[in-house]
Amino acid sequence: MALRTPVRTERPAPAKNVGGRGRRPRPSAAGARIWTWLTLPGTVWMSVFFIASLLLVAAISFGTTDQLGDPRFGTDLGNLKALADPAYRDVMVRSLGYALLTSVICLLIAYPVAYAVALHAGRFKNALIAAIVVPFFANYLVRMYGWSVLLSDDGPVLQLLRAVGLADDHTKILNTGFGVIAGLVYGFVVFMIIPLYAAMERMDTALIEAGRDLYGGPLRTFLFVTVPATRQGAAAGMVLVFLPAMGDFVSAQFMGGPNQIMIGNLIQDKFFEGQDWPLGSALTMALMAVLLLAMFGYLRRTRKDEAEATR
Amino acid sequence: MNPTAPPPRPRRRRGQRRRPVFAIAVTVVFFVLLYLPIAMVVLFSFNAQKSLTIFKGFSLRWYEAFFHDSVLLGSLGMSLEVSLVAMLGSVVLGVALALGLVRNKGRLGAYAGLIMMVPLITPEIVTGVASLLLFKGLGVTLNSGTVMIAEITFSISYVTVILRSRVAALNPEVEEAAMDLGATRWQALRLVTLPALLPAILASAVLIFALVFDDFVLAYFTTGVDPQPLAVRIYSAIRFGVEPTINAVGTLMLAGSITLIGLALAIPRLFGRRGGLDLISGE
Amino acid sequence: MTPTTAPSAAPEAVPAVRLDHVGKEFNGSHAVHDLCLDIAPGEFFSLLGPSGCGKTTTLRMIGGFADPTEGAVLLSGEDVTSLPPNKRNVNTVFQSYALFDHLSVADNIAFGLKRKGVPKAEIRERVGAMVDLVQLGGMAERKPRTLSGGQRQRVALARALVNRPAVLLLDEPLAALDLKLRRQMQVELKQIQREVGITFVFVTHDQDEALTMSDRVAVMNGGRVEQCGTPEDVYERPESRFVAAFMGTSNLVGGVFRDGAVHLDGGPALPVGPRPGIAEGSAVDVSIRPEKIWLSDFEPGMPVVNGVIRETVYSGPTTTYLIELAPGVTVAALEQNTARARMEDRWAGGETVELAYDPEHALVLSH
Repeated sequence: MALRTPVRTERPAPAKNVGGRGRRPRPSAAGARIWTWLTLPGTVWMSVFFIASLLLVAAISFGTTDQLGDPRFGTDLGNLKALADPAYRDVMVRSLGYALLTSVICLLIAYPVAYAVALHAGRFKNALIAAIVVPFFANYLVRMYGWSVLLSDDGPVLQLLRAVGLADDHTKILNTGFGVIAGLVYGFVVFMIIPLYAAMERMDTALIEAGRDLYGGPLRTFLFVTVPATRQGAAAGMVLVFLPAMGDFVSAQFMGGPNQIMIGNLIQDKFFEGQDWPLGSALTMALMAVLLLAMFGYLRRTRKDEAEATR
Repeated sequence: MNPTAPPPRPRRRRGQRRRPVFAIAVTVVFFVLLYLPIAMVVLFSFNAQKSLTIFKGFSLRWYEAFFHDSVLLGSLGMSLEVSLVAMLGSVVLGVALALGLVRNKGRLGAYAGLIMMVPLITPEIVTGVASLLLFKGLGVTLNSGTVMIAEITFSISYVTVILRSRVAALNPEVEEAAMDLGATRWQALRLVTLPALLPAILASAVLIFALVFDDFVLAYFTTGVDPQPLAVRIYSAIRFGVEPTINAVGTLMLAGSITLIGLALAIPRLFGRRGGLDLISGE
Repeated sequence: MTPTTAPSAAPEAVPAVRLDHVGKEFNGSHAVHDLCLDIAPGEFFSLLGPSGCGKTTTLRMIGGFADPTEGAVLLSGEDVTSLPPNKRNVNTVFQSYALFDHLSVADNIAFGLKRKGVPKAEIRERVGAMVDLVQLGGMAERKPRTLSGGQRQRVALARALVNRPAVLLLDEPLAALDLKLRRQMQVELKQIQREVGITFVFVTHDQDEALTMSDRVAVMNGGRVEQCGTPEDVYERPESRFVAAFMGTSNLVGGVFRDGAVHLDGGPALPVGPRPGIAEGSAVDVSIRPEKIWLSDFEPGMPVVNGVIRETVYSGPTTTYLIELAPGVTVAALEQNTARARMEDRWAGGETVELAYDPEHALVLSH
């Protein structure tokens, strides 16, 4: 190739002490090693204390217990077979039902709330969303305890309902499936509101005005414009509520009775009361499997949505 | 006139931007139900009688009882200690991880980015079970140290998620400018990058402190018998017979965590950045 | 034909920057290819080209922010190819300015001197002098965030210059400024360069900027230097179709070179004089700048061709005529609207005119 230097007739002499012309070792100017050194401690920590421990759970679920109740490694399939036992299967189905219902109820609550705060709160928007978020960082047990007092048989909510004739003396909330779900909703509804709120904030308000022109009524506008535009936020919220709800055991303990126990209570029981760690591990694996399936379904959906959006 | 209404404008056809009465009604009920349980706990913490349903006059006796209960005070001390250590440990590891993760385009970066996300989608009970098995498997006696390790593990992800988007938003030329002016990579990191990340680091530190202090599930699975973190004590107290002292402890914990969260949200503003709500909403 | 420039007049002088067969490969494609450049001490040197031509990558390799995959970078004769940025005696003014927001203007400027361990008193003195040089008096204690774009630009310049580097690298430093401020900074930057006598390597995509400020310009395209020379060189005597098209407006007309003339496809022949090195009968382009075409007052001996006015574009000081030489072959000609040229002398559409030019200005570019 032609050489463009001021003195076009002579090439600059190759510099002295310049090594081979080919690929030289990456000079330290790159200094990329520092990023490896920064990444390593956290990665090693997480690998040892998180990933390895999860693998240990998987391994123990194939194990057995000795006479003292201590877990032993093994290749026993008994624990996994026990999961099919009706007693355990019913609890798992119930947990799944509770968690799904919780997600749906959260969605029904969060849509109007996120809509009102995002689009009709004006300059109080940030204060209101902070007012929603802050209590959820308050102690979960204390909140749940207050909630159970509120919904107790002679608590304010039932008293009010009885006064207006919506409930009689036999109506109960605590110790029912409804009570457990109420607890889960109270515990995790914020995880639905935040992504929905973010989606509505991003939404172009001109869309709603156009929707009014196109569909007329606010309900139709909401169904045909707002809901599709915030679908991704809703899907994220469903997952974010479903995951902790599925693994919760406090709500069933504080708000439910013996007939409302969830898979979390079973696990807790196997580790703290029954001392059957291998079975507890198997239950944990089953829980993890359900959650991974939910996560996988969600990721596939969002990928598809993104693919459609870019088409 | 409702202060939330948009500025007065000419009447638009078909009443556009009409206030959604239903949505606002749901929101009002939501806020009432959100705060009522908390208000009840606070109210009954000042109750003169032992009743948990009828308020019989103002008193500080349950707070007094708490400050004379050596077991609960020991638990408070342990919770503070665990929170402080977990905060420091997870901030150091998490900030380093966020810095490395964003710039490490290789396989290590991809792996770190993946395993860092897993705790966020794993229910605490699974993390708790796994930690318990690991500590037992290693033959470690459960005590405040095991709680600290479990809480650090759990918190690194939060710090990394909060910091990662901040690191990615940094102008890479700023670090290059520091090196151009004679700084080594470490110096550039220390003198330029970390000061730029300081608001996010402080906010995440406060957030982690509050989260760990309030955390119950992980502490429950990884603590020894004595002392136990405050949240575990509260759990046992609620489960096996409620003493009104719990209302007082609960109120103090509520006040503490609300203050901390308010602080975490306010820190970015103190540095003249936009509000800190994105701290919680993730991105 | 090559005009003598400072560096070639003193070939024994060690170049401030030498790029020796430098190449940079990203994922199998070359961002920069086999680049050889000598930049003389004290020179204002511009790397000019469209985005993606490799000019910024070249600058980053000089600064130490990118590693060449081939070749060597020499600063004042010393091979610095494997040295990190902090070990090179060059400083950079970044496109984004890259100021340290948590430090005051004075601390920003002092950053490099502190790294070098310069005594405090000297730092204060040099920073003060630099604040005055870039006209930031009274702003030393302010945070960069509170400054305007032009002021931030000056801080970035001062922060680099205060270190008295052998070479200052500037990566499109004026791109973020509005047009008026940019013109003003162009003049100021040139003055400062003359004052401090430091070699400037200036990256820009703006050909006006490169022409007005530089001692020499390297026009880059596709990772290669298409042409390197004085602003006059690259503008008046482009050596390739790309340079001719990139530098200002140019009439590029295709044809066949035969007997000292380029025969346009289906049109007249444009005499261009003998061109050694261009084979008889080869397909070529002719490039003539619009302002090099005469429409009246021809000098004796100028080749003349006929054309038909198709369009008249009046733009104040000049008028541009689009003239058809043959079906589909149109050239632009620029006339100055001087005091002597009267309005009624302008041609109207459809009129047949005679075009004349100096054959020296009709450049022949082989394909």
